[in-house]
Amino acid sequence: MSDLITDVLSGGVRGGTAIMLAALGETLAERAGVVNLGTEGCLLVGALAGYAVAAETGNPWAGLVAGALAGAGLALLHAALVIWRRADQFATGLTLMFLGLGLTSLFGAAYVGKAAPGFAPVEVPLLADLPLLGPVLFQHDPVTYASYLVAPLMWWWLRRTRSGLLVRTAGERADVLPLYGYRAGLIRGSAVVAGGALAGLGGAQLSTAYAHAWFEGMTAGRGFIAVALVIFAAWRPLRVVAGAYLFGAMLAVAPVLQARGHALNQFALDALPFVITLLILAVIGRRTLRAAPQELRRVFESSSTS
Amino acid sequence: MTATAPAAAPVLPETTAPSRGRAALSAAGRWAAALLGALVLFCLLLAAKGADPLAVLSGMVTSTLTSPPTLEQIAIKAVPLVLAALAVVIPARAGLTNVGGEGQVVIGAVAAAGIGLALDPRLAGSLVLVLLLAGGALAGAAWAGLAAALRLTAGVNEAVTTLLLNYIALDVLLYLIYEPWKDPAGSGQPATRPLEVAARLPLLAGTAVHVGVIVALLAAAGTWFALRRTAFGFRLGVVGGNPEAAGRAGLPVRRLLLTAMLVGGALAGLAGAVHLAGVEFKLRPGLTTNIGYLAFLASWLVRHRPLPVIGAALLLAGVTIAGDSLQLDSGLPAATVHVLTGLVLLAVLGWTRRKGSDR
Amino acid sequence: MFTRSRMPKIAAITMTGALLSACAANTAGSSAGAGSGAPGKGTEAVGFIFVGPKDDYGYNQAAYQGSQAVAKAFPDLDVLTAENVPEDDNAARVMNSMIAKGAKVIFATSYGHLDAALKVAAEHPDVAVVQQGNLITKAVPRNAGTYFGTVYEPVYLAGVAAGRATRSDKLGYVYAFPINQTISNINAFQRGAASVNPKARTFVVNTSSWCDPAKQAEAAANLLKQGVDVITQHQDCTATIIKATEAAGKYTVGYHADASSLAPKGWLTGSQWQWAALFTDIVRTARDGKFTGSKYNANYRVGFKTGQNPFVQSPFGPSVTGEVKDEVARARSWLATAQGSPFAGPVTDQGGTVRIPKGTVPDYPAIEKIDYFVDGVVGKLPK
Repeated sequence: MSDLITDVLSGGVRGGTAIMLAALGETLAERAGVVNLGTEGCLLVGALAGYAVAAETGNPWAGLVAGALAGAGLALLHAALVIWRRADQFATGLTLMFLGLGLTSLFGAAYVGKAAPGFAPVEVPLLADLPLLGPVLFQHDPVTYASYLVAPLMWWWLRRTRSGLLVRTAGERADVLPLYGYRAGLIRGSAVVAGGALAGLGGAQLSTAYAHAWFEGMTAGRGFIAVALVIFAAWRPLRVVAGAYLFGAMLAVAPVLQARGHALNQFALDALPFVITLLILAVIGRRTLRAAPQELRRVFESSSTS
Repeated sequence: MTATAPAAAPVLPETTAPSRGRAALSAAGRWAAALLGALVLFCLLLAAKGADPLAVLSGMVTSTLTSPPTLEQIAIKAVPLVLAALAVVIPARAGLTNVGGEGQVVIGAVAAAGIGLALDPRLAGSLVLVLLLAGGALAGAAWAGLAAALRLTAGVNEAVTTLLLNYIALDVLLYLIYEPWKDPAGSGQPATRPLEVAARLPLLAGTAVHVGVIVALLAAAGTWFALRRTAFGFRLGVVGGNPEAAGRAGLPVRRLLLTAMLVGGALAGLAGAVHLAGVEFKLRPGLTTNIGYLAFLASWLVRHRPLPVIGAALLLAGVTIAGDSLQLDSGLPAATVHVLTGLVLLAVLGWTRRKGSDR
Repeated sequence: MFTRSRMPKIAAITMTGALLSACAANTAGSSAGAGSGAPGKGTEAVGFIFVGPKDDYGYNQAAYQGSQAVAKAFPDLDVLTAENVPEDDNAARVMNSMIAKGAKVIFATSYGHLDAALKVAAEHPDVAVVQQGNLITKAVPRNAGTYFGTVYEPVYLAGVAAGRATRSDKLGYVYAFPINQTISNINAFQRGAASVNPKARTFVVNTSSWCDPAKQAEAAANLLKQGVDVITQHQDCTATIIKATEAAGKYTVGYHADASSLAPKGWLTGSQWQWAALFTDIVRTARDGKFTGSKYNANYRVGFKTGQNPFVQSPFGPSVTGEVKDEVARARSWLATAQGSPFAGPVTDQGGTVRIPKGTVPDYPAIEKIDYFVDGVVGKLPK
């Protein structure tokens, strides 16, 4: 039984990492006041760019960089349209999802089934032998280890640094920024682009460290799950981590049970994180929403009820 | 939603601009420039891939627009897009963002299929058909109603909840076809038993197009009538423009918002049911192929105006169908069309807006 | 691929295609096919639709290579291919546009394309439509048919090699959906392994998708965790599972294609397609106007017993000993005899019930109807 729990949790970390990185990227964008529904597209271009560059250069680390750059590039389009051209955030984001799907299909066909170097699991000495925590956290690939740092760093940076404060201000009271000589658009744009880079990194993790393959549409909706997770986590980086691993664990339950000879209908479990999120919103909706950045609320609330 | 509006309403962009002449001209100019820009970018990408852009484009146009069967396919593909786009149009008039079309379409199809499974051989086919269309619409309305209820009771924004509900709807579909509703006589793949022939949407005489086309046109015309010519539409617009003022003026704001979401959800649910009874006949994974999301974009393409939505849906359907030509004539992956769709939408979203007024 | 100079020709084909199909519709209306010519006769083009990408290192790639063999064998034919064609009404649409481009022979290569293929066949009596792997259960129309190899025969042979290779006596099988073809593969794999190693058991995990690399990664990780040391699969894209198995230092049995380059150390053997001869013969038969009444105008199955199985065994990997190779060769010649079959009785199911009594050798159609896991398979079939 404990063995089973270990396997589910360990699968949750493995499968949740890409979702977590994408969701942290989205958190960053939303904390600055911009919703990017195109996260799915950022994940996809990151997955392809990561795999393609790893294949071409023979260096998976170069793939990670390329994945981040590709995600950032697509997010830059989003930033340009919604900040500079004042286009609708939801519509632009969805459009980017389709654009990412199309671009990766056009340029990705050459990399399907092509061999590329990737990241293999490396056990962390000593820590890997810990009961429960060892297999769950310390028997993965280096990208997954690196991803452990992202959320705490983001949490610290948002709270403790001047640039973090500027991002939060862009999300809460953008009108204050010009008074201090800052341009809200620039700060927001940077946050969106950095968020896209994180999603792209997540995509590259998916293709070079998890699936070790590129395949058209291989993100299979994980980008949308990431967007939903940010709400689940009430825009807090550390809660995003919990949510992503929860989702990863839900995905891991079916193969864990099946490998032991049990049958299971996976899809009831898949829905669970979304149902939980809705229930949380229903019970403490107003409070959760109060956690949302002010400017973001303006995006959502094109009308208000009272 | 009444269907008493003239069915043969002209499919032309409405001229709501205060000063026509020059404003219309500059709007047309902006559109032309945006579309041209998108096409040029698409050609550059094709060239980067090593394809001959002009050959690809002319292949897409000739093999899509010169064959009657293909034109029929475009019409069929546009039907659920029109209905699901109207599900964005109506809430948008009240200032609501319905990103949940996808889930409402899925749930509509699920309900319709469920009704088919329960009643199909027992009742007359035409009766089953009517019931499953109604059931699909009701289910869609209920699904959107969940989001509306959360908005009105807990203050949770509908864009958030409709998005979440999309995933739950998809999982409901997959759950059902994976075991409880799986066709025991089927091939082992997850899918339900197909609808009996008598319970499917009939075809228009002499064509391959099902009567859902008429349903979609009536719905668009009805929406136009309801929004532009009735007190309900006027009030919805007031709520969308300034809810506080609307409240002070004594309008039932909450009821109007709820109605807008319910009607929208019903249309999206109907889209799912029509798609099931007209094209798919059985539930399977990937049933909707992003209908809800494409419809959201179709509505944005024409700034949520009910009649031009028909044109936007035809355009997106046409581009999708033209994707066949990309592979058959040019050997490019079919999903390449999404690049064109995406570029056109970005151009329209970013560069065609009239200054000042948006909706 | 097509250059600009060809555009007028394409337009012309499209126009005549539309006219032709209009005529076809008319004749179909007057009398059910009697007036129209032999299906596929004199065709100028052949259409192939695939459910996935044509370069997936798997099922679709194998079928695509078959289509290219047809192009090579008949240089005057236009070979039209369409990948990622879903198993729904879109398939009928794509086939119709191929017909509009002059194709009178269509290969619908995915299991789930059958409904659409039959629909298209009914609409176009002059077009021969063949479908890969499924069974037409009602009367076979005069212009349609299904074809397939006996997949489970080479899979049984791979099972023999796997049964010899395993040290933990645990084999793993990752599959997509419990379709009959997959069930007979899993059963044959287990029975092949058990024929040389009675302690061998096969653990099964399904992904509910023909290709979802992330789900495959998780399935492989969990099988490995359970101590499985030989993994095989029935998926359309195969690279993820093979790489995961190789990285763990375990053995791979391939499917669809020779992927030994992805597993240089752990590759045992596998089963792969060679469609060229069969595809070419189907096209020739149809083009000569002899499709109706031919062996392809039926549920055509070919295996070791009846001829050239298009499903062949992949080359052995470095770790397979000469002794095991001999054992596999003996099993192969046994399968070609009248008494030989992966399912030669007695066959018991997981519950211990005898399903095929001793002395009975089921024929190919009977094997395709098996809907239970045999004894030794660990895991339940989704209902």
